[in-house]
Amino acid sequence: MRRIVTILMILVGLALMAVSYFRWAAPWCATSVGCSDPRLPWAASFVVLGILIAISASIFYAVYKGDD
Amino acid sequence: MTAETMTKRELPQGVGMLTPGWLAFFAVAIIAAVAGLLAYTNQLNQGMIVTGLRDLGTVRGAPWSLYVAFDVYFVGVSFAGISTAALIRLFNIEKLKSVARMAELLTVVALLLAALAIMADLGQPLRGIVNLFRYGRPQSPFFGTFALVIAGYLFASLAYLYITSRKDAARLAERPSRLRGLYRVWAAGYKDTPAQRQRDRLVTFWLALAILPLLITAHSSLGFVFGLQVGRPGWFGSLQAPAFVVMAGVSGIGHLIILAALVRSALRADRRITIDVFAWLGRLLLVLVFTYLYFTVVEVLTTIYQASATEQGLSDALLTGRYAWIFWGSIASLLAAVAILGWMALMRSWSVGWSVFAGILVNVAAVGKRYLIVVPSQTHGQLLPYGTGSYSPTWVEYVIIAGLFALGALMIGGFMKIFPIMPMEEGE
Repeated sequence: MRRIVTILMILVGLALMAVSYFRWAAPWCATSVGCSDPRLPWAASFVVLGILIAISASIFYAVYKGDD
Repeated sequence: MTAETMTKRELPQGVGMLTPGWLAFFAVAIIAAVAGLLAYTNQLNQGMIVTGLRDLGTVRGAPWSLYVAFDVYFVGVSFAGISTAALIRLFNIEKLKSVARMAELLTVVALLLAALAIMADLGQPLRGIVNLFRYGRPQSPFFGTFALVIAGYLFASLAYLYITSRKDAARLAERPSRLRGLYRVWAAGYKDTPAQRQRDRLVTFWLALAILPLLITAHSSLGFVFGLQVGRPGWFGSLQAPAFVVMAGVSGIGHLIILAALVRSALRADRRITIDVFAWLGRLLLVLVFTYLYFTVVEVLTTIYQASATEQGLSDALLTGRYAWIFWGSIASLLAAVAILGWMALMRSWSVGWSVFAGILVNVAAVGKRYLIVVPSQTHGQLLPYGTGSYSPTWVEYVIIAGLFALGALMIGGFMKIFPIMPMEEGE
């Protein structure tokens, strides 16, 4: 349980970072005003959330009281 | 026996004990922090006009100034803390284990101060925070700095500090004291079993392994904030990112030496924080200062060899003009630190006092160099024909920065009064 949840948290965090960075945030271009706006509002927050979830996995692994 | 007496008897490293010296320290720090808060309130009410910050161009000012210089400085200080702590865990450097926790704490405190320095720089801090989350472009080095430094790096450092301190919290929770409830929550059911110790070793190893590349990236992205600005002579350049990382190490290790010496003196911990700690940190500092001086020479030579007119004007301002006293003062401080540390390394005889002096010198140099990175390129680095600008900090800026330092001292001092600053020994 401990390992499964920890690995899941890391994967979810990394996936959230990747998706929000490459799909939801403003595209990698500089040709129009559209390049400045995020494709999904608050996309930047999801990158941060992904980082927090991935790092929280370490706390979960150390603190969880159940079986490995 | 009263609870207070029990606290005094039971808790290690002066935790829970407030001597007259500590009370005086807290009083001075609180007064300075409150003065900073009042100055900030004044700035918030009156607007940025009470500072020396002005627009670029026709106004000929500098919108980034002391606050940004100290933001960069504080982020730099944070570097050495967590990198030293991570290296201690990864390579099992036994001699430095006594300063691992204070290194982690230094990182957390410095990052919080860096965040507050940026808040002070924003005329509308709330708008700045909301818009960063709402419209931030992850491609921007600003966002990289914010997300990696503040979110990733700070949170990772907090997680690291928490995980590595749970064992001590559990031991403290077994002792009668007024802080027992706090320690119970902190320990979160920690049981000192072989399985738990193995888990802690595993998780701190992987966290340390993850933190090292994260902090190199974070500090590089802060360097990119300046280094990628092609229209700003003095900032644009590939050396900015590595120079930021190295200078971060210089100022951080310098701070760690000072903090270690203060803790050693305050807790009379000569046996725990031995002279070997200062020898290790001093040698590391020496290598970093040499590297930074090399970067500085390369940068100056490149600029003056065949510079454009604007870059020439900027380097004149730095080397012989308005900013020369800061530039040469910083270089002299670094060279003096090299002389002190080099002499001790050659003689293989380390002194705590001289190490602290070298730590102070490199931090004076770090503040000067951070100021020179931020300000001159705005006042003297105009590509458009606006003429030379100027910037002079006002008392408001000085008091806010002093308040931030006081707040940092309060946080570290406060931590020392509620938790052991050094990992507890068996039987302590």
